[in-house]
Amino acid sequence: MDNVLINSGMKKPFGKALLYTLPMFLITFMFMSGGRPDFSNPASALAMLITFLFVNVLYFLMHYTGKTDRYRAVIFIIFALSLSFTLISNMVAMRNSMSFSQADILECKIPFCHLVIPMMILPAAFTQSIIFPGSIIGGFANIASMVVLWLIATLVLGRGFCSWGCFYGGWDDGFSRIRKKATVKKISDIWKWMPFAVLIMVSLTAALTLVPTYCDWICPFKAVTEFEQVTSVESATKAGVFISLFAGLVVVLPVMTRKRTQCSFLCPLGAVNTLSNKVTPFTVKIDKKTCTECFKCVEACPLFALSKENIIEGKVSVFCSKCGKCVDTCSKKAIHYGIKGVPAGTMMNFSRNLFLFVSFLFIAVFSSGSIINSLKSLLNLFF
Amino acid sequence: MTEAFILGLSSGSACLVTCGMVMFPYLMSGSAGVKRIATDLALFLLTRLVIYFLLATLAWYSGQAIFSNPVVRNIVPGILYIVFAVMLVWYSISKNKNPDCPAKIVQTVNNRKLVPIFLGIVNSLGFCPALLIILTKGATQVTVVQSYIAFLAFFIGSSFWFLPLPLAGRIRKKEVLRTIGVLATGLSGIIFMIKGITNLIGGLING
Repeated sequence: MDNVLINSGMKKPFGKALLYTLPMFLITFMFMSGGRPDFSNPASALAMLITFLFVNVLYFLMHYTGKTDRYRAVIFIIFALSLSFTLISNMVAMRNSMSFSQADILECKIPFCHLVIPMMILPAAFTQSIIFPGSIIGGFANIASMVVLWLIATLVLGRGFCSWGCFYGGWDDGFSRIRKKATVKKISDIWKWMPFAVLIMVSLTAALTLVPTYCDWICPFKAVTEFEQVTSVESATKAGVFISLFAGLVVVLPVMTRKRTQCSFLCPLGAVNTLSNKVTPFTVKIDKKTCTECFKCVEACPLFALSKENIIEGKVSVFCSKCGKCVDTCSKKAIHYGIKGVPAGTMMNFSRNLFLFVSFLFIAVFSSGSIINSLKSLLNLFF
Repeated sequence: MTEAFILGLSSGSACLVTCGMVMFPYLMSGSAGVKRIATDLALFLLTRLVIYFLLATLAWYSGQAIFSNPVVRNIVPGILYIVFAVMLVWYSISKNKNPDCPAKIVQTVNNRKLVPIFLGIVNSLGFCPALLIILTKGATQVTVVQSYIAFLAFFIGSSFWFLPLPLAGRIRKKEVLRTIGVLATGLSGIIFMIKGITNLIGGLING
């Protein structure tokens, strides 16, 4: 049966694709409406309806066309944009500015983000304190819910979190798709170890100073969320650093290389997620029997997770984020979603269906809140 | 304390990059087990700690006379940070990874038991801008205890990279550890370049 599937790809007939979408349809409906859709506010109801149809159409298309990355990227990029929009509009509503003051830090009013997690581990273990100035439970983007969500996602998806859950990844993913051909093609893959160097540096310095040093000094996404008020030479330097990193790693390099350079060369959480790839049940496999070693997948991989050596060995590296770009690129279907312990080239359709259901459900539920909020704000603006 | 720790962390990674290949064979000589390597490593680190405390005392006493001007207090470390940053970046991009390792002198020591102590001495006294910066830091502290704390933080930071050493023989991908060390050194170089420039600008504005 799997031989038939290899030849026909992962496409499904219309009715079958619709049937596969039905569980997603019901679960996302329950999550978005809470079981009781509220039609009292037309803008809210319309925003919810649009988001609900949007995510389910994407999921349906994944099954109907057999393509994964093409539709994943749409929701992933929109998630990043909508979250920044929601965060910035929240900040502006609360403080009239994207910047925060020392008073906001002292009052623990900073929204939490998952990139802080690697820096929290050592201080939490040794001092039983949370080093981020945010709300632990309750309020907007609280620490407890974010940590639990990330933990579940990283254990189930591994580095898949970076392509199916991270609300920043969509920025460099989006910019990496702007040009059709890369202008910079040769980048040494030694740089893919940089997130580990960053992870070591920021985890240790955060443990010693009890300050999340990555957020304080490095994080490029402050450019699209919030940042410290510029009041001194030091805070001006910090602003210069994050603006340069955003411009360089999130905008310019992804456009030039067609790779997600921030995720590949800087993100310390990406390093942790890479390690968790060792425990997740899902993986991407290479079927040596059908692989023709054309290396198109190596070129397509946005995270330097595939090299020619990997293809010859028939093994995807631990850096894989399961975005599906290589799977979509391979015309022979030699590279496919798989489950650990199951030989390559077998149970391809089952593995893909299972992975897609889990990962898409995560991004659909995780992103729906910010997409609905953004849509609601836009609808309120126009009507 | 934070600066001293980060300084030590960067100095340690630079040390791993430059001296790793000279020191490792001595600290992990022959078929020594984890226990033997751990004992040698403890002796090596203890020697470094003693040397650093001596330097902390010396730096603080001499600093009382030299660093009374607040502008000099900012500008001198600023320049040293930039020199150190350039050195770190050069170490990380240079293809010859162990050109100036002071620990090479240990090749002249015949007594195996003394090797960790000798390594500890040459490693902590080896000329390096990071040592100059921490000496300046120690010299500009108000009390001698603060100077000790700065040197202790420097010691902890610089020792971090040596801690996996007893297990190094069992690590399958040693090259990966070294690659991460090289990258961390380059990263530290960039951090100190920024720190140095911030110090210089701050010093000039305050001056």
